[in-house]
Amino acid sequence: MVPHILSFARYLLCEVNVSDMNDLFLLNDQAVAAAVKAAVARIHGDYGAALCSIRFQVKYLNAHTGIVFLRFPKSCYKLLWSALPFITHINSRGQKIPCFLNCLHVGGTIRTCQKFLIRYNTQQLHRMLPKCKNEGEKQQIRQAILGCFIPGGNKEACEDDIECEEDEGE
Amino acid sequence: MSAAKAKMREKKMRNQPASVQYPSGVNGEGGSQNRGHGSGGHPSSKERKKPEDTGWVRGHQRYGGGYSKEMPKYITGGAFARARAAEVKAMLRAVSQTACSSHVFQALPKHMRRRAMSHNTKRLPRRLRDVADRMREKSLQAGSKKKKEPAKSKSRKARRRHGNLLLDFNRRQRKNIWLETHIWHAKRFHMVKKWGYCLGDRPTYKCYRSCYRAMSSHCLLQDLSYYCCIELKGEEDELLAALSQMTSKEAGPTFAAALCLSGRRQVSVTIYRIGQYPCQPLGPVTVLWRPKTPGIRGRQLWIWAHPTLKQDLLPELQSVCRCWEAVPPSIDPEVLCGKEKSAPHPKPENILEAKLKPGAKRKRSSVDASEPPVKKILGDGTRLPGTTVTWKSSSTGIVINDLTMEIVRYRLIGPQSHSVLTEALEAATVCKEVDKSLGSTFWWPQHCSDESNMLLHQQQADVFHTLKGISSTTELPPGTVLGLTVDDPRLTLPTKKMKVLPCVSQAQEADEDKRKELILRGVPEQCCQSSLWEESVRDDVTENKIPEQALNRMKSEMLVPGSRLSPTPPQGRVPVLLVHQPGKQVGQEMSSWGAGWDLLLPKGWGMAFWIPLVYRGVRVAGLHMGLKHSHSKAAPIFPHDFPDCPAGIRFQEEQEAEFLDKFKRHPPAKRTNYIKHGCLAPFRCPWQQLAEEWEHLTRGGGDEPAEMSVAKPLSLFIVLRNRKSLRLLSGWCRPTTSTGRRLNRELLPLSQSAVTSFLSAHGMSLVWVRLSLLSKGRPELHSMVCVPTAEDLKLLGKHQDLQEPPHRDHFKSRIKPQKKSLKSDDPEPRSTPDSDLIFGLWPDPLPSVTSHCSRVTLGWTTQGDFSLCAGHGEALGFVSVPGLLNTLLKQAGEHRGTLLLRNPGSLHYRFAKVNVEV
Repeated sequence: MVPHILSFARYLLCEVNVSDMNDLFLLNDQAVAAAVKAAVARIHGDYGAALCSIRFQVKYLNAHTGIVFLRFPKSCYKLLWSALPFITHINSRGQKIPCFLNCLHVGGTIRTCQKFLIRYNTQQLHRMLPKCKNEGEKQQIRQAILGCFIPGGNKEACEDDIECEEDEGE
Repeated sequence: MSAAKAKMREKKMRNQPASVQYPSGVNGEGGSQNRGHGSGGHPSSKERKKPEDTGWVRGHQRYGGGYSKEMPKYITGGAFARARAAEVKAMLRAVSQTACSSHVFQALPKHMRRRAMSHNTKRLPRRLRDVADRMREKSLQAGSKKKKEPAKSKSRKARRRHGNLLLDFNRRQRKNIWLETHIWHAKRFHMVKKWGYCLGDRPTYKCYRSCYRAMSSHCLLQDLSYYCCIELKGEEDELLAALSQMTSKEAGPTFAAALCLSGRRQVSVTIYRIGQYPCQPLGPVTVLWRPKTPGIRGRQLWIWAHPTLKQDLLPELQSVCRCWEAVPPSIDPEVLCGKEKSAPHPKPENILEAKLKPGAKRKRSSVDASEPPVKKILGDGTRLPGTTVTWKSSSTGIVINDLTMEIVRYRLIGPQSHSVLTEALEAATVCKEVDKSLGSTFWWPQHCSDESNMLLHQQQADVFHTLKGISSTTELPPGTVLGLTVDDPRLTLPTKKMKVLPCVSQAQEADEDKRKELILRGVPEQCCQSSLWEESVRDDVTENKIPEQALNRMKSEMLVPGSRLSPTPPQGRVPVLLVHQPGKQVGQEMSSWGAGWDLLLPKGWGMAFWIPLVYRGVRVAGLHMGLKHSHSKAAPIFPHDFPDCPAGIRFQEEQEAEFLDKFKRHPPAKRTNYIKHGCLAPFRCPWQQLAEEWEHLTRGGGDEPAEMSVAKPLSLFIVLRNRKSLRLLSGWCRPTTSTGRRLNRELLPLSQSAVTSFLSAHGMSLVWVRLSLLSKGRPELHSMVCVPTAEDLKLLGKHQDLQEPPHRDHFKSRIKPQKKSLKSDDPEPRSTPDSDLIFGLWPDPLPSVTSHCSRVTLGWTTQGDFSLCAGHGEALGFVSVPGLLNTLLKQAGEHRGTLLLRNPGSLHYRFAKVNVEV
């Protein structure tokens, strides 16, 4: 059982903005974490570095879209957050990726962040749709929007669960 | 993390999206050239392999060309859109699906939760209902898959139907013997399985004090049918010659005691192995001789023994009587004809064991003839049908018959037990009608036809009537026997439970004389005769008992409801034996406390007598109260207080295992640390070691005694039962100040020479003592009896605490490394000898038991409690004879016989007075 006091956290949903899209593929969670830590240490000194080592974690990273979930302790997330704008590059796999972090959302649970992300991404797609230059592109985006939704919804997933459990049983 | 936990977590995180990134290994090193092509686009190992989960990867692979190193030829939003779409899909899945480990309603916020949501899905919001329904179905399926459904048992109604109930009862009686009052007890008592029987331990209601009150002022009833009866038949000389080898006159009365031999008294005898006195005792038995009968040449005697003693006693008796010839169980023709009347298909194997109540299951047997009719088991249900119960000797003519469970024995304890008996029982009414053609099958009309029998019956009835007039059971001579034939006590059952009060009125002259005669002389010899001794009569009575149902029907058909059934049905007479049970016989205080009567009945009649007795306002007690009764009487109980008997040794081992098991069930930090309390053996008493050490100490303690003890290591300790020696010891124990007692006749004064001569005879002996506490305190089982020092005696009566300094636990440090080595899984050879260390207990080779504490140990107690009749704590136990004598020698006159008592879980010493009672 985790002590209850520790389970208070803030999740920051950030977007890694890079100039070259291909650089995104170089990212991994350790690199992002190291960059955040370095920035906090630079801005807030040892105190910041210490705070950063308490319960800081990169919960999720999507190398295609550059979305990052950062977990900070609730008591000091504002302090740590204030250091994020000072990240100018991330060192990953021996390469220096120039970038900056854009914080989109601050949530109390991962779940709220996920919900926000869904809304945000669909909004983005919907914005893209009228701006499309040609029919092919339009078609692709339309497909993408349709593909967002899980066909069959919950029902199928649950059946899937049952199957999985049966596998485990044997 | 344990495997189960990992599995749980894996299940929980299944729907959560993992990070999408490329491994830093093979593909990553090669630069971005390979990325996005073929295998290069394979997601990280964290990704799941299911294709529908990796939607974006698929999309990326197809349009991977868009992410090449070179400047794009054209810019397309497709890849961008696909990546976003895939992410949205993953997130949606994570958000919309709850983790499997939780119920649906756990996803709801607290204020929306309702009571019993998991039970009734309608309490959930409608949007969650179908999910919940599905989950519930699934869990039900899983439940049914895992556990096999229990075999569908019959409905309660069917199970409680008489025939089925009997079948079930008979099945349950196969392992442990049930007494006839078992069902009655099982409804009211905590039952224990002991010695092959199911016995009531103590009632479920609170009754400790009321039971004590009943014992000391009214009447307490106990079912002692589990005691085993062994019958010996043969010539008197042959029997006495054989049995005298097993007893000794020095240890009390023998089989040949004059009053006992005439059949007027029952005596208690300590049995030894053949010719081994004073070593190797077997245990105490009670002996009852049948009075000389005019028609029969031989004598008959019953030996009543505890069930644990029987297995030692029976072979010993067989060898002493040379009875090895087994007599196959014969089929009594009378029994057989009784069977044929009631059951169409008597099974031969059931004839001895199970007697059918007439008409009990006629319907069933007529319907289904192939199935044997259900019979109520009377007697020993565990015994196999063909087991031999009778042995004959061709040389001596002695017949040994095992009558276990053939005779029901009830014990009534208390001064008013005779009132209860006279109220509940009525001497049988004489059968007047000489209608030979009708009632000839029953024993009583036949018995009545003989004039001498009737005369005897009249005398017995007179004595029984006189018994009503005496004021207390204790007035009678101990062990008196009275034979009687009584009417079925169910006929005079009172409608309401009542309390019998003694009747001490209408003292007429003639009655008064009779009463005095009874008190002084006991029952005349001829009145001790009873038909209960006859096997044929016993069988007849058992066979022809009127079932409860028939009796009730007869009662209901009477003209005046509630009146006595008359004439008494011819089969309603039962021969019984009343045996007076002496109370406290030893010691000066509370003389003959706890006296009572034993009621001996033929089998099958147990409940017919039990209910009428209970309706007379007696208290019913179990084994626990029986122990307390003996404790108050200061009598040793078999097998608890016979450490030198084989049954006693077995009992001690069982008790130790039981206590140890209980002790180990506590976590070490919550246990009593007996090492710190200086208690070497809290669960058993190493009597042998104690006796050896004391013998060693008294022989001078030099080199020579050591050699002596080496020279004869096999001499076992014995419990002193020699009457003369006990009397001597008893006199020495008393303080010398009270001048009245000082004037003991022919008693040797306590001196060094007397002690030396005494010890030469009883060096390895233990003696049974009673210790009464002088101040407060409640002694427990296995308390230590210690010798007070001279300084301690000065504190006597000054209300100062005597304490044992706490000991150090040296084994604690040895237990800890052992635990560590267990954890690291390397069995070191060093730790193996310590493997049986139990925290808080001394490991096996005990150090010197006598000198372990600051006060020298003399012995231990085997019973101890606050005694309600004495008003202070009392303990019973054994002390070493040499130790006791040495202590007495050193003590000055007024303090003589003062010892210390300390409970195993305590450091306090209490002063106690020692009494050796003869």
